[in-house]
Amino acid sequence: MPEIEAEPAHLIGAIERASTLFPERGISLMDRRGRLAEKRSYPQVLESAQAAARRLLRRGVEAGDRVMICLPTSWSWIESWLGTVLAGGVPVAVSPPEGLGSPSGVLGRVDGVAERIEASLLVCSDRLLAPIHEHRLETLSTIATPIGELEELLPGASLPRLDPAPEEVAFLQLTSGSTGVPRAVMIPHRAAVHNTIACGEAIGRPLGRPVWEWEPSSLVSWLPLYHDMGLVGGILFSMMNGLDLVLVSPRTFLGKPRTWLEMLSRVGPAISPAPNFGYQLCLERIAEEERAGLDLSQWQVALLGAEMVRPETVRDFSAAFESSGFSPLSARPCYGLAEGTLSVTFDSAGTGLRCASLPAGAEEGPREVPSVGEPLMDTRVEVVAADGSRLPEGQIGEVIVRGPGVFLGYFRDEEATAQAFRDGWLHTGDLGFLRGGELYLTGRSKEILIVRGQNIMPHELEWIAEEVAEAGGSCRVGCFSIPAGAAGELPVIVVEVARGAGSSLAHLDREIRSRVGRRLSLPLADLVFVQRGKIPKTTSGKVQRRELRARYLARQLERLHGDE
Amino acid sequence: MAMSEKTDKALQVLARVSDKDGAGLTPEMELVADLAIDSPKALELLVELEEVLEVEISDEDAARMETVADVLAYAGRLG
Repeated sequence: MPEIEAEPAHLIGAIERASTLFPERGISLMDRRGRLAEKRSYPQVLESAQAAARRLLRRGVEAGDRVMICLPTSWSWIESWLGTVLAGGVPVAVSPPEGLGSPSGVLGRVDGVAERIEASLLVCSDRLLAPIHEHRLETLSTIATPIGELEELLPGASLPRLDPAPEEVAFLQLTSGSTGVPRAVMIPHRAAVHNTIACGEAIGRPLGRPVWEWEPSSLVSWLPLYHDMGLVGGILFSMMNGLDLVLVSPRTFLGKPRTWLEMLSRVGPAISPAPNFGYQLCLERIAEEERAGLDLSQWQVALLGAEMVRPETVRDFSAAFESSGFSPLSARPCYGLAEGTLSVTFDSAGTGLRCASLPAGAEEGPREVPSVGEPLMDTRVEVVAADGSRLPEGQIGEVIVRGPGVFLGYFRDEEATAQAFRDGWLHTGDLGFLRGGELYLTGRSKEILIVRGQNIMPHELEWIAEEVAEAGGSCRVGCFSIPAGAAGELPVIVVEVARGAGSSLAHLDREIRSRVGRRLSLPLADLVFVQRGKIPKTTSGKVQRRELRARYLARQLERLHGDE
Repeated sequence: MAMSEKTDKALQVLARVSDKDGAGLTPEMELVADLAIDSPKALELLVELEEVLEVEISDEDAARMETVADVLAYAGRLG
């Protein structure tokens, strides 16, 4: 096995290093049935990314230019993203419209991002050009370049020899922002390199040696490449640690979850990450008789991250797939966020899920709290009270992080950056407590609704409802999420209406649900109309979403019905 | 709506994916808002439709499916 060389200084070095250090390994792209479509070794990946970089230069991309990539999981995605890095640009992956319904809602959001980050290029599927012009999306209309057109360009001469500083921005990662338009997290080269190496070290700890010293092993991923878990946890992690990356599109997994487990049955020793809902989906959609024929005995590490880990999901999954060879010891929770590049803590014990009970006096939280492990190497995690003072072990507070994996700030958003960074510590907004040096997460950032792994800011839903109800002036709208069975969480919207609006409630109900569905592909758990003034607000008029949620759950909201 | 064999199959898939009774589905119902078909379910629906209708549904066709009627019309065009 190759010895690990000194960490590369930047991502360009990391991409080249994969090609020289792990020439036999590479990336396999699977087709829609989860069968191998094409494998490229890391030298081939590098070569195709260099060709893409030269085409991007020919297209006029300059150093530091933001290049947005809006493509499904494909070689074109990989070449465009890595190629942008090699060309000295800053790649920004955005979620492509997928599934049912018109792409206009998704494209509208992409347009907002493009404007905010002053992107110079959007690499997109050929089919998106028509809707972009049809919906008169100002920024996108001028920068959209269909991938087909880009791939026909003759590559420019040669690539410049680049040597970016560790603190230079390597890429932008989009995350939900409080203003409706996603924020762009600036990840420096230093963080991208450190975080992926540190994860390799933490994953390998129970086996006594880091991942890069393992016998040939694969990383199987269906996670979307615009998400940090798919990009950093899939592509960059595999390249840095010399794993064979086996990639299938999220569409394939979501359409047929068994495909994921079939792939894991075939590839031999493997690591595979997923958010909690991925495991839950397998439980819901793979019937008992379909479990026969699966062999999960080679699944060494089943990572769980990106959203709250539910102990019952892990236990049910372990029980359901035990006869297929799944070992409960392979379940390894971790915790991270885009602002931390990918991971902050990692279960490095490898002894299966461990839970603690919720500390006495805690306001709310799950009864059983799973450990998400210890901080990665060189990383510090503390828990603080609202006034910023450090809390002792066992007390719940906000999780703060310091270390080389932490981001630089939000792109051109000093206010948000100042809020996130205080005295050099990243304030995550997530809640938890420490015990025995491990982090126990009790709640993710209060504001964000995590529905099926997708982060949604409550005001995105509130604005849609306000638009329809023409509330927002003296009438308000509040939104929060509630547990909705095995599906995890779904949103509830509460709308204040003026007296006498009774006759139009049926229409409002229909219109709000319809617009939320069309724009965010999201069904509602409930839609409640209440009399004006019934939504709890702060003295400054801000909707108190937590209090509203508590009243809703206690059935203290007086609903208005259509005939009132 | 006239039901061909294909539209009938599509209706059965819709009913199964949305956990509803086929007779309770009306053409104007919206897939997301009324049938609670979120993104994962949407992809499940597409895969199941592809299997029973024996076609590969293009992104363009998927983009036109917003209501029960849209899905049935798509299946109907297949004959």
